[in-house]
This record gives sequence, C-alpha cells and structure tokens, in this order.
Amino acid sequence: MKVALAQISPHLGDLRKNLDLHLDTIEKVRRKKADLVVFPELSLTGYTLMDLVPEVALEPAQHPAFKKLAAASRTIDVVLGFVEERGKGLFYNSAAYLSGGRIIHVHRKAFLPTGGMFEEAKFFAPGKNFRTFMTSFGKAGLMVCRDFLSYGAGYLLFAGGADLIIVISAAPGRGMTANDAFATSRMWELMGEAISYFSTAFVVCCNRVGFEDGKAFAGGSFIFDPSGRRLVKAPEAEEDLVLADLRLEDIRAARKRWTFLRDDRPEVILHSLQRIVGGYED
Amino acid sequence: MKINAPFVEKILCAFIREELHKFGFGKGIVGLSGGLDSSVCAALAAKALGKKNVLGMILPYKDTFGKDVEDARALARKLGIRTRLLDIAPMVDAYFSRYPTDDRVRIGNKMARERMSILYDHSVLEKALILGTSNKTELLIGYGTIHGDMACAINPLGDLYKSQVRALGAHLRLPARILKKTPTAGLWPGQTDEDEIGLDYSEIDAILYELVDERRPRKEVIASGFKKEAVENIEALIVSSEFKRKMPPIAKISPRTVGHDFLYSYDRNR
Repeated sequence: MKVALAQISPHLGDLRKNLDLHLDTIEKVRRKKADLVVFPELSLTGYTLMDLVPEVALEPAQHPAFKKLAAASRTIDVVLGFVEERGKGLFYNSAAYLSGGRIIHVHRKAFLPTGGMFEEAKFFAPGKNFRTFMTSFGKAGLMVCRDFLSYGAGYLLFAGGADLIIVISAAPGRGMTANDAFATSRMWELMGEAISYFSTAFVVCCNRVGFEDGKAFAGGSFIFDPSGRRLVKAPEAEEDLVLADLRLEDIRAARKRWTFLRDDRPEVILHSLQRIVGGYED
Repeated sequence: MKINAPFVEKILCAFIREELHKFGFGKGIVGLSGGLDSSVCAALAAKALGKKNVLGMILPYKDTFGKDVEDARALARKLGIRTRLLDIAPMVDAYFSRYPTDDRVRIGNKMARERMSILYDHSVLEKALILGTSNKTELLIGYGTIHGDMACAINPLGDLYKSQVRALGAHLRLPARILKKTPTAGLWPGQTDEDEIGLDYSEIDAILYELVDERRPRKEVIASGFKKEAVENIEALIVSSEFKRKMPPIAKISPRTVGHDFLYSYDRNR
C-alpha cells in the first residue's frame, strides 16, 4: 500500500483555493500510484478560523466541494479535514475518509484544545466517538490533532481493532531544542512510536505547515510501522509531499511477535472506567 | 534560553516571506539604527526576500548618534540592500520650536514617532511592508515607544530575547562592532537600557525567561539566585507596560464589538 502525506499550507478561510489545492495534490499523487493521500487538520479551511467557522462550515452529504472530492476518491482514498455543520448550527472540527466515490467515515474531534494559545472549544462542538471502520486496506481509525495526545483515544482505536491509525493535525511548533525542530515535535513522535508499537498498527500522521497570525505549523509528518519503526519523516515547517510504501503484512508479523491485541481486555477497562466515572464528585 | 540559530533563521525567513506574500507584497522596509536588532532584522529580510527587495531607512537626528549611521551604512553595504538616509532634525525641530522642552523622554518619543511616520509613508511609496525590530525583552519590559519604534506590519524578532537575537546575529555573521553594541532605546545619546534598569541584559533575560517562559512564581525566581529587588523591578516593568502590548480597550455597547467578540484572524482570507 502506498501512502502520501500532503504536508500543505491551506489558505485561511478560502474553500475554493483549498479545494483546488486538494484536487491538484490528489491528481499529483494518483500519478505516483498512491493508494491513500492524507491531508492535515482543517485542510479545506485553514486553522485559525474563529468567527469564520460558520462561514466555511458545510454538510458533506450536500456540498459541491465534497462531490468533487468524492469523485476524486474513485481511484485513490482520501483523508481530509473540514468544518462540519450538523443540526443547523452545530459545528465540528471533522475528518473524513473518502473512498470509491463516497464518504465512508467522518470523525469529529473530541478533544478540543482550549487554553493558552488554543481556543477551539469557543468555536466547535466536541465529538463523542472513536470508531473504527473498514477500508480496502484493513480496519482504520481517525483522530484529529489533540485527540492523538490523549492516550485513551488511541486505546479506543486499538480496542476497535484498528490496523491503520490516521491522525490529521495543525500543530503549531513551540520551544527550542538543539535539533532542527521545535521542542513540541518530539511529543508527537513519542506518541506515534508508542501507539504504533503497542497497538501493532500503522500510525500515519499528517501535520500542516505555513503561518497563521505568527504561529508556525510544524509539519514533520510521519508514519510508524506496527513494530514502532519510523518509516518516513517529512521536514519540519516546510511544504512537502511524502510517499511511503506500507507492507500490510507487517501488521500480522507484529501481532505474532507481540500479542497485545489478543491479550487486551476491554471489559476490564470498561468496568474500571465505570467505577471511576461512577465515583465522580461535584 | 539557548536557540538553534539555523533553525530559527529558517522559521523567521519563512515567516517574513509568507506573511508579506499573503498580503501581496514582495518588499520590506527596515528602519536601520546601526544597532543589533535592526541589523539582524535586515539580514533576515535580505535572505527571505532577496537583497534587492529590502530597503534600509537610516533616520538620524543630526549627528547625535555618532558612529551609528556609519555602522548602519556598512551593514547595508555588507548585505547588499538599498538604503535611504534622511535627517529627521527639520521635522522634529519644527515641532519643538512651538512646544520647547528639555524633557529627554518627550524628545526621544517624538523622534521615534517621526521615524515611524516616515517609514509608513515609505511603505506606500515603495509598496513595501515595515518589518518590526522590537525583541521579546523590550516588549516585556516596555522599552519601546508606543506608535514609534514598536509600530510595524510584522515583527520577526518579538519572540526572541536580546541575548537570543545576539546569538542569531552571530550566526548571521554580522560585524563584530554591531554584535558587541550596548542595547539602548536610543531616546538620547549615551542612554543604555542596562544603566536605567541597573541590571545587565543577560540577567534581565534570565529573569524574564523564568518569569515568562517557565511561568515561575517570584519566590522561586529569587530562590534560583537573583536579587529580590531585581526580580521585583522586572515584574513591575512588565505590569506597567501592558498597555503597550495591547490594542486600546473599546467601550462595549453593541452585541458584537471590535476587540471583544468580533473574532477574526489577522491572516484571514489571505
């Protein structure tokens, strides 16, 4: 399976330009024989939307942009980020998986960072679910940016049997290190390595680049294989289009070696969680 | 506190290039004082935009600042950028002939705002955006003239402490004379920030780093080896200069108000 990571810099608030950027990129990677292309969080709209949220929100089942994107997904699977409107006035920071000309899954970001430089919960409603779904490459699960930094969310996709965990993000870089990277880039890779290893699944993470209001989105997109080995790493803070070959048989090989999935006991986790949640005070 | 200078250079050059291009500009203007910050800013701009697309404005008041003009010119020659030299004395003197004063702060502020006014006029004349040169140290302790040297279209240096700007300057191979210069707000000849605050810059930066970046309480900062008065003095400067870092408050009357809940990004639809 060939995966393309589109480490792009979307235009803030401009659906039309971003749609063109998506369609051009899809065409480019199709020619390179990619099976799946992953775009970053809010790739159709840009990230720092604030009061633009209702203006760029769309219902994917009806919107002409999604019709074009779905059509483009007839020969290549596509993951992208957008503002989803549901129930007339509820807005979500969502990720969609398109394949075979239709939308096969939508994930709504559940963990909305709000505090410090982030204010997503001021503008978005939180999603409530982490579900896996079937693709032609196996079971997949989607996460949006901060979802991935909650290891409980990673566990849910693991418990759901994910072979392929796809993360789309718009993570700004912060902090200095001796390396040619922001300090914060380390935590994403740390999680990528841990989740791929302990889920015996591929972790595919596409982070955006470019600037919005002085924030530099850090890029550094990566893929880890089911044994926790990093297959590719895009450069920090520059546009790029990375292609990688994923050997899907590596999932089985990893699960023969480490039986984390076989040995998982979701009923124990659930029972303990019910006790913890039931004991909440105030 | 230590920066990876090549990585910071890459980020700041991309910032300058992308922000200008988003707004349809390919050229930048930097007010060159002959000091460290404006030299670093000009060097970054030359790398980001190409040397032909950077204009260095040298705006002395008569020959008050001695060799600074020569340093600014030498830097511009080294970078290969264009310069324009204009003495601001006629404009400043015309004003103070009506309202005479020997208040050095008033005179210094007027000069800073005269320079701002010229830079903004040249912004239109040259179809170029003004690159700011206020560093993080100055922004936090309020060592800048509001609507004067603090005014700009974008500021590449505002998240770097003075000592980090110096490290970046060394990486960019700026002349040793400029790297060694004593920081000054330039309000009057011989003024230095360090004399006024009574601390040297490495100490100011170290205290700010603990208070701001690490968000440590005053007690802990003092316990880490700084004088109580020094830490209190720096904290007081941060608090008293808050107004310089904000847009002025707008009295809220309507349901949706600029500055309160009319919330759009600077870069929207760009």
